[in-house]
Amino acid sequence: MACIERASPALNQILLKLYSAEKPVEIDHHLYEFGSFKYHILCQACEPQVAYLSISTPPLCPGILTSNKLSSYTIELIKRLCPGVVEIAEATREGYQLTLRLNLTKIPRRNDYVKVIKEISTVHSVILSSQLKEILWNFNSDDAIKGMHKPIKLAYNPREPFFVIRQPPRIIAVFPIRFAEKSDVIISTAFFQELVDVGSLDKYTKAPPCSWSAIPPPELRGEAFEDLSTNGGFVSFDISAHHVDGKRLDKTVWNLLNFNAYVRFHVKTTKGFIQRRMRKRLENLVEVLHHTESEQDNEQITRHHGCSCTKGLLVKSSKYNILKQRWGNLGRKLKRIHFRVKIQGFGRFRQRWLRLPKFSSSRGYTKLG
Amino acid sequence: MASTLRPYLTCIRNTLDAAMCLQNFPCQEVERHNKPEVELKSSPELLLNPVLICRNESEKCLIETSINSLRISLKVKQADELENILTKKFLRFLSMRAEAFQVLRRKPVQGYDISFLITNYHCEEMQKHKLIDFIVQFMEDIDKEISELKMSVNTRGRLVATEFLKQFI
Repeated sequence: MACIERASPALNQILLKLYSAEKPVEIDHHLYEFGSFKYHILCQACEPQVAYLSISTPPLCPGILTSNKLSSYTIELIKRLCPGVVEIAEATREGYQLTLRLNLTKIPRRNDYVKVIKEISTVHSVILSSQLKEILWNFNSDDAIKGMHKPIKLAYNPREPFFVIRQPPRIIAVFPIRFAEKSDVIISTAFFQELVDVGSLDKYTKAPPCSWSAIPPPELRGEAFEDLSTNGGFVSFDISAHHVDGKRLDKTVWNLLNFNAYVRFHVKTTKGFIQRRMRKRLENLVEVLHHTESEQDNEQITRHHGCSCTKGLLVKSSKYNILKQRWGNLGRKLKRIHFRVKIQGFGRFRQRWLRLPKFSSSRGYTKLG
Repeated sequence: MASTLRPYLTCIRNTLDAAMCLQNFPCQEVERHNKPEVELKSSPELLLNPVLICRNESEKCLIETSINSLRISLKVKQADELENILTKKFLRFLSMRAEAFQVLRRKPVQGYDISFLITNYHCEEMQKHKLIDFIVQFMEDIDKEISELKMSVNTRGRLVATEFLKQFI
C-alpha cells in the first residue's frame, strides 16, 4: 500500500542506496508519485556528503491556495524534520517549490539511520497534511456570520477530489466515489455498508461517525454537476474536535487524504482474493471429475478379473478402446486421400512406410502388472 | 428454502436419468460429419421435448435432449447485486476453462448462467450414473461456493473497516 504509507518508498530506497554506497555515487533522478508529486534528487561525486532533494506538489485546494509557494507553517514543519540533517536550500531548483539540502554525514551510523532516512522520505506527507490543517483552521468569518459554509474542494489525486465542509462544532468530509467497473462499485458499496455498521458499534464511538448515501448530501448543494455525478455514492465523515486534538490531528488528516486510495486498494485485493478462491475451487471440482473417471477405470479392471487360466488381469480399458478407434479412423482417412497428382510407386511407399502401429499384441491380451 | 432443494435436485436427477439415452448418430445433412443435434436443431425428428424444471422464479434448469446429445442449462439464484457479480465471475471463470470439465459448454445458453453439453462420446467414456452425480453435485457446490464467497467478501470488508476506524481511536 505504497500510496498510503507516509514515507515515499522510491525516495526511501534511493536515499538508502546513496547513504550506504561505499564509493561516491552520482545520482540525478526524477521521480513522479501518487498525488502528482514530483521529486528530483541530485548528488554529485565531487560532493558525496551532500544531496539535494527538490519537491514539487500541486496545491491541495487550488481555489484557496492560489500561490505556488509553500506557506510559512509548512516550512516550519519541514524544518522540524531531522534538524541537522535537513536544511532548506536558499536557491530553489527551477520548476520545484522547495529544495532541501541533505547532509548525509550527520545521519547516525548505527541502526537509527533507517529511521532517519524514512523520516526524510515522509516530506510529502508533511507538506500535504500541513496544507489541509491550514485550510481547516483558516475559517472565513464572513461565511460563518451569514451561516453559509461553502464546501471546500480538495484534490489530493486530481481525479478523486473530495469536499470538506466546516459546520461548527464539526467538520464534514464528503467523498464522492467513482469506479470504472460495475463490479468495483458493488464491492465498494458492500464495504461502505460494513463501515457504517462497524462505526455504529459501541466499541468505535470515538471514531468519526460515517454514513453512505447514493445521492449527494444536502451540504453539497450548488456544486458543479461533474463533481456530483458518481456511480458509487457519497461517503461522509463527521470530524469533531476530539479527532483533531494533539497527535490525533495528524492521523485524522492523513486518513482523510488517503481514504479513496484505501477503498481502491481494498477493492483490488478483494478481486484478487475472489480470483484465488475461484482457482482453488476449480481444482477441487475438476478433481471430483477425475476421481469419477478413475473410479470407473478401477471398476472395469475389477470386472474383468476372473479366469484362473489366464496370468494376470485381462484389461480392456475404455480409454484403450477409444484410442484404437481414433487411430483406426485416422488410418481410414489417410487411405481415402486422393492425390491429384499420381506419383508412380507412391502407393507402395505409403503402404510400406506410412502404416499406423497396431495395438494388439501377439498374445491376444495385454498383461497388467 | 432448503426444503425445496432436495425435491428440485431429485427431479433433475430423475429427468437426466431418463434423458441420457444417447447413441451415435451421424449428421443427416453433411456426409461424414457427426454433430450434436441438440446444438444444430436442424432436424426436428431427432429432438425430444425440452424439459424446464423450476425451483422458483430465479432458479431453473432446462434439459434439452436429442438423439446423440443432451444440453443442460442452469440458472443459479442471485439474491442481491453482490451475489449477481460473484455468480457471473465464477461461472464465467469455469466456462473459460471448460476443457478441464469436458462436458461444460464455453458459453451458456441465453437466459441461463451455465450450460453443459453431453454427447454420446461422453457417455461411452464415462458412466451415466456418475455423470449425473457429477452434475447434481456441481449444482450443490456452486450454490455453496457463491454463499461462501459472499460471506468471505463481507467478512473481509468488515475487517478492513475495523482496521480503518481503529486508526482514529
